[in-house]
Amino acid sequence: MIRQLKYYFLLISVLLYSSIQTMASDAKQRFPKPEFDTGYLQPDTTAPSARFLLLEYLDVFVLLAVLTVVTWFVLKKRSRQGVFWTSVFSLLYFGFYREGCICSIGSIQNVVLGIVDPTYAIPLTALLFFLLPLIFSLFFGRTFCAGACPLGAIQDIVAIRPIELPKWIQKVLGLIPYLYLGLAVLYVATKSEFIICRYDPFVGLFRFEAPFHMLILGILFLLVGVFVARPYCRFFCPYGVLLGWMSKFSSNHMTITPAACIQCKLCANSCPFGAIDEPVAETGKRRSNVKRLMTYFVILPLWIGIGGFAGSMMHVPLSRFNQTVYLAEQIIEHPEVKNDAKNIDVRTFMSSGKTTEQLVMEADAIRDQFYIGGWLLGGFMGLVIGTSLISLSTFRKREDWEPNKTNCLSCARCMDYCPVKKE
Amino acid sequence: MNISKNDKIKLAQRIAWISAGFAVIMAFLLIANFVQTNLNKPIDNKTIPALVKRLSQSPADEALKAEIRAFDLMARKAYFTSQWQLRTGSYLMFLGVIISILAVRYVLSAKSKLNEIDSIEKINELDKLVAQKWVIYVGSGLIILALISGFLSSNSLKEYMVNENIVVQEEQSAEIAAPVFQEQITAPADSSAPAGNTTITDNPVSTDVPATIATETPSAPVGFPTLAQLKANYPFFRGAEGIGIAAQKNTPTDWNGSDGKNVIWKVKVPKSGYSSPIIWGNQLFVTGADAQARMVYCYDKNSGKLLWEAAADNIQGSPSSMPKVTADTGLAAPTMATDGRSVFAIFATGDVIALDMSGKRLWSRNLGVPDNHYGHGSSLIVYKDKLLIQYDTNRSGKLMALATQTGSTVWETVRSSKISWSSPILVNTGSRMEVILTTNPNVNGYNPDTGEELWNIACLSGEVGPSAGYADGMVFAANEYAKLVGIKIDGGTPEIAWEADEFLPEVSSPLAVNGLVFIATTYGVFACIDAKTGEKLWHQEYGDAFYSSPVYADGKVYITDMSGKTHIVKATKEYQLISTPELGDKAVCSPVFQDGRVYLRGMNQLFCLGTK
Repeated sequence: MIRQLKYYFLLISVLLYSSIQTMASDAKQRFPKPEFDTGYLQPDTTAPSARFLLLEYLDVFVLLAVLTVVTWFVLKKRSRQGVFWTSVFSLLYFGFYREGCICSIGSIQNVVLGIVDPTYAIPLTALLFFLLPLIFSLFFGRTFCAGACPLGAIQDIVAIRPIELPKWIQKVLGLIPYLYLGLAVLYVATKSEFIICRYDPFVGLFRFEAPFHMLILGILFLLVGVFVARPYCRFFCPYGVLLGWMSKFSSNHMTITPAACIQCKLCANSCPFGAIDEPVAETGKRRSNVKRLMTYFVILPLWIGIGGFAGSMMHVPLSRFNQTVYLAEQIIEHPEVKNDAKNIDVRTFMSSGKTTEQLVMEADAIRDQFYIGGWLLGGFMGLVIGTSLISLSTFRKREDWEPNKTNCLSCARCMDYCPVKKE
Repeated sequence: MNISKNDKIKLAQRIAWISAGFAVIMAFLLIANFVQTNLNKPIDNKTIPALVKRLSQSPADEALKAEIRAFDLMARKAYFTSQWQLRTGSYLMFLGVIISILAVRYVLSAKSKLNEIDSIEKINELDKLVAQKWVIYVGSGLIILALISGFLSSNSLKEYMVNENIVVQEEQSAEIAAPVFQEQITAPADSSAPAGNTTITDNPVSTDVPATIATETPSAPVGFPTLAQLKANYPFFRGAEGIGIAAQKNTPTDWNGSDGKNVIWKVKVPKSGYSSPIIWGNQLFVTGADAQARMVYCYDKNSGKLLWEAAADNIQGSPSSMPKVTADTGLAAPTMATDGRSVFAIFATGDVIALDMSGKRLWSRNLGVPDNHYGHGSSLIVYKDKLLIQYDTNRSGKLMALATQTGSTVWETVRSSKISWSSPILVNTGSRMEVILTTNPNVNGYNPDTGEELWNIACLSGEVGPSAGYADGMVFAANEYAKLVGIKIDGGTPEIAWEADEFLPEVSSPLAVNGLVFIATTYGVFACIDAKTGEKLWHQEYGDAFYSSPVYADGKVYITDMSGKTHIVKATKEYQLISTPELGDKAVCSPVFQDGRVYLRGMNQLFCLGTK
């Protein structure tokens, strides 16, 4: 049954992909116009029209269907093969056909912009792409990561020789997604940049077109992904932070065993993401453990305060990613750029009729926003570090091998290792 | 035929190797293609611009046009072929990678149902302690990095704002210092004040900031120079009325500054400046400045000998440190002015100085350091006994008239305008004299006797550098990113007659003559527009930028580009190039005409050109 389904998916996906790529292969006009009057009338430049609304809803429908199917494969069928081939379909549809857009990870930015900018009406599809995976995570764990995310799928395919990373590396690298999430929110809140989209390492591969450095970054992620499974998902993805929070409270999360665990330990080395918690009994001196935990609780506000201050100190360099701030600084420090005919940002500013003083005032106001944002971002990172220490100091007795609900990507690999059959 | 499992695995292994090898080869080819395309970018092909430049010199050359078309087509083919290769190569490489990965996955799953990861030894409690330690290290490291990076980064926006405040403070201190200074000079000024000074003092619109009057009494005015006298000399920026028309005949058209052809003399002006020369009688004046001194130089126009030099120093209110200016504006950008009895100069510090024709200082004053992010650029002009100064800064705009005899303010008109770098022109519209200014957003006409605003039309935008042009009752104003407008001012209420936006100047001022308007752009195009309709009659792409303004003399229009080439064309509706003599020095100043000679200031030297 699964084998048939596998071939069916593959065939459909390949046909769909090849037909769509043929349609999308029209050349882009980037060559300058001829300088002669040849009699040929250049067509007016037109912006591509928005995607047909029905097709946008189709994307939402496909996402919902994929989430349902993959959740069914994880929870009911307990099939790694089913999850894998669903993720291949998602890779072809959301990755190569939709070229990585629309995307739940990037939708964080639409939601934040919708909150901070009253003039921006968030598209319903973007909102649904943001909410649906979170709702599924809240009930069933991170099944979105398992089978619906094209970024996860492309990394999962290349995870051929995964190795296990020491816990301290996982914990340290695990801080990055929080920082990335904070930065993404900060840059949207200051209306500066959608950094998640700009620095998506795989979208260039999906589109067969990317700046050279981003292409290299994407290939590097895939090469690292051969040995360190899903490096982007585990150590960079900002949406993974939100999904982890939701999944932590999921009531129907997948289990390694379909029935009572027989303590065979066969699943112990099955997870390439280090997301299986082993059975633990309290060790060491209880008094010193409690003392350490209390210390971490006491210094938590200190982490937040110092982090906030450090973040506020970063407001100048952070704000330089904002176009207006960058332009103002460029004009102040290098006034000769005003004569640079190739600098389109300077040309646009010059044609706006604004004075340098006005530009500087605008940039300064934006930098003030970064000052406040820097406090919040730094405070948030202090909170993350402080709570990480607390979580590493807490003890929870565990008798079986269990998936860590926050980090488990519900890929269902571990299920294949479990000899226990469903009762 | 039965294929064993081992055979399948072997087959899959070979497929994996072959497809991986194919992908690697494709990757190398793609990189090679990428490098080659970047080394020889078809888009940046140097041949085509060179050919186009040649075509501008012989526009009717059909063979050359065909050659350019052929090159253009070839470059396009190369570009699109490269794009196709990159795209197709990417598809093929991707296909190879996919097949290889699928084959590897098949092999792994066929060899073993379960694919265990390479595990490490774990001790839960110890791992947690080590992780805590590393989280503390990395967290602290992040905070320290953020603090260091914050301390090291300078906020140039705040510095800019602070600089604004410094300028404000300096201006305030100059104003505060004024009464004290007034006391110091009152006695000698009163005791030896010439009649002219007394008249000015009685002037009800005189304002409160007096100038430093030298103890030596300047010569009393004996009438103002007539227009004919002004035209016979070259007293202001762009000639007698500041509109770019020289009343000189037999102007030269052939010289070469490099090999000395028709170079009568050339001298190096001690200090640099972008002010153009002015001439009265046998004397030629220019300014130069650096952080150490602001200077006025007087040369013998016939021999190039330096007759005298005078420093604009010890001026009350002058800043101790130079204001921040850009390299392409400098401290001595405004051109001087003369009425034949005195010469006047202004610098980026706001220092104004008046000297007699022998270099003796008559008076000086500081107008307050102009808040100008490039440097003050507006040139001076004299009307009767008034020195007119367009003083548009980031803080405010005003048109001032200083008494040529004493430097005291005769009138001052506050302008609702933004900063500008343009200069006043002084024209007789038939019914009255008007001083006309351009800025963002207005073109204004003022009464030069009283400073009263006569009219204004909001039609410009951006940072306005070009001054106005004028001919036959029409004012022509333009600025890059804005538009070129023809404003009819001789028929009652001034109104815009036409607008155009194809070619716009950034620095160079429009020249209107013979029913034509000439525009020189910073992207190297020189265009001729119909003055009545605004229609383009012709344009030429010379390639090098124009900062200099076109000047009309003896039926010809002279326009000097930044490379030092002067393009001399007939002032006619059809493009007729007369010659393109070279200065052998870069140039941003405008040519000056006198006695059948051209005086042109280059970046390094001042030239007198013509037949010896």
